[in-house]
Amino acid sequence: MTVKEFNILMCGVGGQGLVMLSKVIGDACARAGIRAITGEQHGLSQRSGSINIHLRIGEQIRSPLIPVGGADVILALEALEALRCVEYLRDDGIVIMNSRVQHPVWETESHVKDEKAKSFSAEDVKTRLLRVTDKVAALNALDIAKSVGNPLTENIVMLGALSTLEDLWVPEGAVVEAIRINVPKKAIDVNLRALKLGKGAAHSDLCNVVKCKE
Amino acid sequence: MGVSDLTKDGPAKVFMLCNEAIVRGAVEADVKVVSAYPGSPTSEILDSFSSVANHFDISMEISSNEKVALETCAGASMAGLRSMTSMKSVGLNVASDSFFSLSYTGVKGGMVIVVADDPQAHSSQTEQDGRPYAPSAYIPMLEPSDADEAYRMSRAAFGISEKHGAPVMLHTSTRVNHQSGMVKMGKVARTPFRRVRWDHPPGRFVTVADSARSFKASLLERTKRIEEDFAKSEFNVVSGEDSDIGMIASGAGYNYAFDATRILGIHPAVLKLGTTYPLPKGLIAEFISNLSTLMVVEELSPYLETQITAIAKDANPQLRIFGKASGHLSEALEYNPNIITEAFAKVLGLKLPVDYARILRRAKELKRGLPERWPTFCPGCPHRATLHALRQAMKGRKHVLATDIGCYSMSFLPPVEYGDTLLSMGACMGVAAGIQYAIEEKVIAMIGDSTFYHAGLPGLVNAVHHEDDLTLVILDNEVTAMTGQQPNPGSDITAGMKPAKRLVLENVVRGFGIEDLTIVDPYDIEVATSKMSEALSRKGPNVIISRRACALHSDRQKRRRGEEIVPNTVDETACQRPYACVREFNCPAISIDDDSRKAQIAQELCDGCGVCARLCPFDSIKKTREGERG
Repeated sequence: MTVKEFNILMCGVGGQGLVMLSKVIGDACARAGIRAITGEQHGLSQRSGSINIHLRIGEQIRSPLIPVGGADVILALEALEALRCVEYLRDDGIVIMNSRVQHPVWETESHVKDEKAKSFSAEDVKTRLLRVTDKVAALNALDIAKSVGNPLTENIVMLGALSTLEDLWVPEGAVVEAIRINVPKKAIDVNLRALKLGKGAAHSDLCNVVKCKE
Repeated sequence: MGVSDLTKDGPAKVFMLCNEAIVRGAVEADVKVVSAYPGSPTSEILDSFSSVANHFDISMEISSNEKVALETCAGASMAGLRSMTSMKSVGLNVASDSFFSLSYTGVKGGMVIVVADDPQAHSSQTEQDGRPYAPSAYIPMLEPSDADEAYRMSRAAFGISEKHGAPVMLHTSTRVNHQSGMVKMGKVARTPFRRVRWDHPPGRFVTVADSARSFKASLLERTKRIEEDFAKSEFNVVSGEDSDIGMIASGAGYNYAFDATRILGIHPAVLKLGTTYPLPKGLIAEFISNLSTLMVVEELSPYLETQITAIAKDANPQLRIFGKASGHLSEALEYNPNIITEAFAKVLGLKLPVDYARILRRAKELKRGLPERWPTFCPGCPHRATLHALRQAMKGRKHVLATDIGCYSMSFLPPVEYGDTLLSMGACMGVAAGIQYAIEEKVIAMIGDSTFYHAGLPGLVNAVHHEDDLTLVILDNEVTAMTGQQPNPGSDITAGMKPAKRLVLENVVRGFGIEDLTIVDPYDIEVATSKMSEALSRKGPNVIISRRACALHSDRQKRRRGEEIVPNTVDETACQRPYACVREFNCPAISIDDDSRKAQIAQELCDGCGVCARLCPFDSIKKTREGERG
């Protein structure tokens, strides 16, 4: 199936399930006959380091890395990381970010040294991103994930929000099937609930700024 | 992708990681023996093999190091079975002694050696280019650019190896290994595993003096024959337009170059090289003969460019070649589509469709004040506690810390910033031995269990024999943690979860003649600190083993057993803000609230190790649920 080229820069902190998320989306594309490639990050930053994964959809694409200014969407599983990869966003691109902040140890250390030091907040991130695009949506994926009963489904909540985008032509059925195949058996139901609630959150926070599927 | 796709009967189109595709290719080629030591970006090759080894009846070892792994495969292939090993480019340094000799003796069964570079040194000590090993050792080399090609090359390499009796190197790099894409898998037609007869005359695989000289003569002939075959190889592809502008690229570089031509809307003639040793010189000469301009795209050293420039001297002396020598591309860092697009635009005098410099400037401006997030130790990581104890134990005493390769290497990063030297696997003791000759202060060497078994043993033997005054700290966390918690000689399992004999670290150390041995549990941080302080006050050589399982590994095991992981929490009424839980500890689960300025613990990150609770002088950190001391 030939679809419009579409580039998603996924970022977050090691341990948030970014590799699993890219597997699910890539697998969903494969099931729908859509060509996708990813540039992944494995290795050193297993936990607590910055991670980004490039996911590219399109027949002609060869580079697993998105060029600077080439991402249609930044999907950030952690708020600070959304800003950290801002150079990849194309002008007027979409940012879907988790409002959760994981404070880097470097920041915490600076709070010890300077009692007036303030944390960099999700609001700070949003304000800066709005200088590049007005299509910024933040959702509290951790709270949603906790509400379905497993904080580790945060990645699938974000996928739910992403999947509402009109430009992401991956059928619902393929996404659901890819989740069923890739997550542990006993976690299938909780992940499908997370997907649904992620979509719901998108309809209230994202679809007012970008075109969503019906 | 998972085990189910690797074991699926083809033909089928599957989305998979390149490292998994390499495994699938080898499985289809009926590989029988696999041995490897993990190392990024190749670790998932080992992990994937490990997950299907039993299913496909593959004899597999997770070796103690790359050299042993290569030799294990060499032995199996000398006997006549097909074998595969994989290693990062710096791993080939360790294996290189046998790598060179093996080219001389050759093999009978097909043998494939996967070697992966890590441009940008994402998780390596250098950006070493592994390709020059191929011509130095006369070992044929294939280079894929994506998962499907890696699968096809992996499958084909065994046949090439058997036909010419030479081991074949499959050379990749991080952005190839860690790329997922569609792979058109073929059928799996495995033959039953059966032992073969050793049917070689005596001395067949002995290379020394006379036999070495005779092997050398025949391997030169062999290389000529392989070059003839490679001139017709399906892995070298000419495409694009009939243009006087051309491009030669290989590996990851090809992907960026291909996208750069699309971004700029240019249509050069393209030669994609897949067989990069021996180079198909005739094919290259023909390709460049009618060009006026050639762009060469390859990461790291100008391996292709130098040879192509030499070929052009005869084939097309007027050809203008652009790449590293012309200053358009660098030998440092990994490439990406914008770097190559900018280089092409400059060579051809084209305007960039996107102003990359402007975007990067704007991003830098937007990120002002954004706190850095260097990789650090996981919540619950025993290394954090060991390093804290070590620092406290040495408080007020000047010392030098020679570290080694593993998760603990990260100790030099901010905000921990501890550690003075790091060279290569197992280097800490040799370096420490040299430093103790040179300085007055205490010298400490630090190494993980897996690295100790990998290349640390000779260093310890040396230190004991020479009575070097150093203290060796071995961080024993039961697994090879950094690459994905693979088993190591200290584990009671190996590949495919098969039982293995567990080496007892203290017995090994004592067996080498260490009499002064201290064993601590870093979670018991007060005791660990005082015991370490005592040991560090004594003359070396002596050894401290800091023993506690990798937190990721043990948390996973706990979850499997259905055991609850209870995090800790800060009792705000008790917290007097001494920040003992932060200073020189720096756990990512702990942060400081902007308003109350008190420590807080992120419940979903904390693994409940309780070390911070022990550090708190006001007892303000408790288990979240039982309300007891952490």
